[in-house]
Amino acid sequence: MRRKGRQREADGDMLAGTLDMLILRTLQSGAAHGLEIAQRIQRQSDEVLLVEQGSLYPALHRIEERGWIAAYWGTSETNRRARFYRLTPRGRKHLLAETSRWETLARAIGRVLRPVRLDAARSGSR
Amino acid sequence: MGLGRWWRRGARERQRAEEMRAHLDLYVEDLMARGRTRADAEREARLAFGNPRVKLEEIHQMTRMPIVDPFVRDLRYAVRVLRRTPAFTVTAIVTLALAIGACTAVFSLADAILIRPLSYPDSDRLGAIVAVRQSPEGVGTQQSQDGTTWEFLRDRATTVDIALTASGFGRNVNLVVDNAAASVRQARVSAGYFRVLGIHPVAGREFTTDEDRPGGPAVAVLSHRLWQRLFHGDRRAVGQSILLRGEAYEVVGIMPETFRSPGEPADVWTPARPSRIGEGGGANYSVVARVRPGHTWTDGAGELARLGQALFTERGLPKGHTRWLSLVPMQHELVRGVREPIQMLAAAVGVVLLIACVNLAALLISRAGSRAKEIATRMAIGSGRAAVVRQLMAESLVLSVAGGALGLLIGQLGLESLKALGSDTFQEWGRVTLDARAVAATLGLSVLTSFLFGLVPALQASAFDISAALSDSGSRNSAGRSRPTIRRLLVVSEVALGVVLLVVAGLLIRTFVGLRSLDPGFDPSQLTTARVSLQDARYKQSARINQLFDDSLTALERAPGIESAAVSLELPYSRLLNSGFTFADEAPDPKFWPMANFMYVTPRFFEVLRMSVRHGRVFTPDDRAGAPLVAVVNETFLRSWAKGVNPVGRRLGGGPTAREIVGVVNDVQVSNSGIQFPGRASAPIMASPLVFIPAAQTSDGFFQTSHTWFSPVWTVRATTAVNVSQVLPRAINSVDPLLPVNDVRSMAAVQAAAISQQRLLMTLVGVLAVAAVLLAAVGIHGVIAHSVTERRREFGIRLALGATTAATIRRVALGGIGLAAAGAAIGGVMSLAAVRLVQSFLWGVEQHDPATYIGVALLLLAVATVASVLPALRILRLDPAETLRN
Repeated sequence: MRRKGRQREADGDMLAGTLDMLILRTLQSGAAHGLEIAQRIQRQSDEVLLVEQGSLYPALHRIEERGWIAAYWGTSETNRRARFYRLTPRGRKHLLAETSRWETLARAIGRVLRPVRLDAARSGSR
Repeated sequence: MGLGRWWRRGARERQRAEEMRAHLDLYVEDLMARGRTRADAEREARLAFGNPRVKLEEIHQMTRMPIVDPFVRDLRYAVRVLRRTPAFTVTAIVTLALAIGACTAVFSLADAILIRPLSYPDSDRLGAIVAVRQSPEGVGTQQSQDGTTWEFLRDRATTVDIALTASGFGRNVNLVVDNAAASVRQARVSAGYFRVLGIHPVAGREFTTDEDRPGGPAVAVLSHRLWQRLFHGDRRAVGQSILLRGEAYEVVGIMPETFRSPGEPADVWTPARPSRIGEGGGANYSVVARVRPGHTWTDGAGELARLGQALFTERGLPKGHTRWLSLVPMQHELVRGVREPIQMLAAAVGVVLLIACVNLAALLISRAGSRAKEIATRMAIGSGRAAVVRQLMAESLVLSVAGGALGLLIGQLGLESLKALGSDTFQEWGRVTLDARAVAATLGLSVLTSFLFGLVPALQASAFDISAALSDSGSRNSAGRSRPTIRRLLVVSEVALGVVLLVVAGLLIRTFVGLRSLDPGFDPSQLTTARVSLQDARYKQSARINQLFDDSLTALERAPGIESAAVSLELPYSRLLNSGFTFADEAPDPKFWPMANFMYVTPRFFEVLRMSVRHGRVFTPDDRAGAPLVAVVNETFLRSWAKGVNPVGRRLGGGPTAREIVGVVNDVQVSNSGIQFPGRASAPIMASPLVFIPAAQTSDGFFQTSHTWFSPVWTVRATTAVNVSQVLPRAINSVDPLLPVNDVRSMAAVQAAAISQQRLLMTLVGVLAVAAVLLAAVGIHGVIAHSVTERRREFGIRLALGATTAATIRRVALGGIGLAAAGAAIGGVMSLAAVRLVQSFLWGVEQHDPATYIGVALLLLAVATVASVLPALRILRLDPAETLRN
């Protein structure tokens, strides 16, 4: 049982990092409950990133543990009890660092990928 | 992260579940708002969300800390299991708490007094200078030095900075402020004393070498407390004068609040003014030394050894003798006489703790026996042996931590009672408190004990044949076979340890009883005593002192209810003044001066104490100043110095101060003052050669010298139950209101105080020994009770086949008695070695005193018999038919 659990954690790490950043980014514009977060991610990524809503919770749990977000119980717009999350100052700092790291990485990957695509195009034209 | 978070995990996970439910509800509502039916909305929400259980499990996995978690789970399980058997759990925790509590109390004592460094800067460079003498008879040390040695060292030592304090000087002296008398503790120290200790006055200065010489100015340094009391913390106190012992002293300095003088406490310090004559003619100075910067301890010790050898060779040594000076670490020197009792106590509580652990181990083993099925089930469904051992160890840990927590409480109580019991005997005990170090030590001890008593049973319990344990018939025989052997060994070892403690306690009891039943040599009933310090400028002349004695005794004898009264330099059961003497009719041996205890007494002293006269007469009022000088000696004097021949008529000393011995009185018990004489017994209380002289014929010099160390004692014999403790001070103060009266005590109290150390050690070790025997009895009881339960079937068959109940009970009980006998035999052999360590506490009893050993053996057999027969009686309740049917 334990071994299985550990493996899953390790596998999820890559994706989890990305999801964490997305959640943080979403919360930058204000506190939100789980459903709102899922809907915002979906909307802002032009419906490209479809998050399985349940998967948010392990991620939220992990981020909360690290102190990047804080949670409190409140009421939704429809007057329902819901748990809201907001960015902590530490989370804000982390998001900034993470965003710039991500951009650097994305640019780097972009630079690596571009020539390959050019090559392929050239060979394709021949 | 604290462990608490993992304990509270359940609540946090419930919150997550609730949060997910709320999420689904919201989503469903949202979808329904967009026109879906409830059924549709719910289905879609579930699809979009995924399985909440899986997510919860994922969160759960995340929360667990791989190492801590199983540990916490084990602990929680352990707590649950232990709660199910409250009788066992309470027994175990209380046993442990008592043992750990005793250890904590004694550890606090040992730590504060023996281990923790002194409160002086660089205290590891501080030492005491001790003279070592090696002669054909052995090696001896002398803690105090005389004026010649002091001056020799002061002028020559380069690697150590030295100072001295007048030894045995912590007595009460009179301080007069605004015409009110108070009693304070004075110490006399040399210039540089505070510098050597490394503590400087908070105001003013310490003594200069000019002040520290005979005839120097009268100056004083006050303790912080006395300064507060007299001057209410006013710094202008420096320069003021106080009236100490009837003399005006100028206050020159004030010590900080935290300063504690090594050895006896003091309120006021005055210059020691060391010299080679008078006080300095004898070994009356304690010399302290600090190794100077740039030199090592070895340098200092080496130089002192060289200087000492040179000095003593120059002063002449008997053939075959060598003497030198040695540098002893200050702490070591300060705890002389205190170290051994604490070490003995520590060893005794250690043994009790060990027995408690052994007992718990035995308890756990039998418990494991009854849990064999549970453990077997767990192993059968895949739990590893390591997991089972870990689980059982967690139970021991829970027990011992709970025991430790309770033990801390008991330790606090124990320390308080130790202090209450012991601080009269050992002053240092009074200031000991239970602190963080003790708490840490207790915790460490708890964890250690859990390993001590938990590991063997855990390993045992997990090593057996699963299938045998699970099948009903097997659990009774095969699983239990090896366990009783180990249990028996454990019981034998706890009995053996208990025997060692009992033997030591027995020898201490015999020592104490022996000392207490010594013939006092006088009638102590109805006697009350009080001390008055006459270290006072107004009492320097013999005539003045005798006037005080006469007037106060007249006042006392006139008081109602007082039969008779006397003043003497000291009391029976006290330590007396040592002095050398010569016979006028015998050529003195230059190498060996006879020594005796000397004390002055007023004429009715012998009558007040009801001593008997053996030869000649005692003093009369006619033995006054100007009359022929006389002395009275005791029987030990007659035996050891007069070869058993009646010495009445012989003269002591020579020239105009020669005294004629006019009488011989019986012996009284006195404290061992360390003098050597033929036929001397080495005991804390004994009869020693005594010379009495009439107070009226005592010289100014003898009064002044003896009054620096001793405060004279007024002793009265009351006829009825009058309140002597008030009459006595009132009578003395009616003569001189400025003399504080101290130590008003009954003679019985004086007598008890003389053997208080023996009483204390006997009580403490006795209590521990009783605890040890009780634990051992519990152990024997457990083994027998367990075997009766396990062998129920066998006994049922035996009884059914015609064995008598009595025979069966005897068989079972004999097993327990056999264990005790084996333990007693082993313990007896161990005791033979152990008593050698406590030899220095024994007097009047042989180390291998057969009576003690036999007594201990009999006591143990009696206890073992009770502990074995009681559980064996359960056989009476066995119904053979029923046991056979089951």
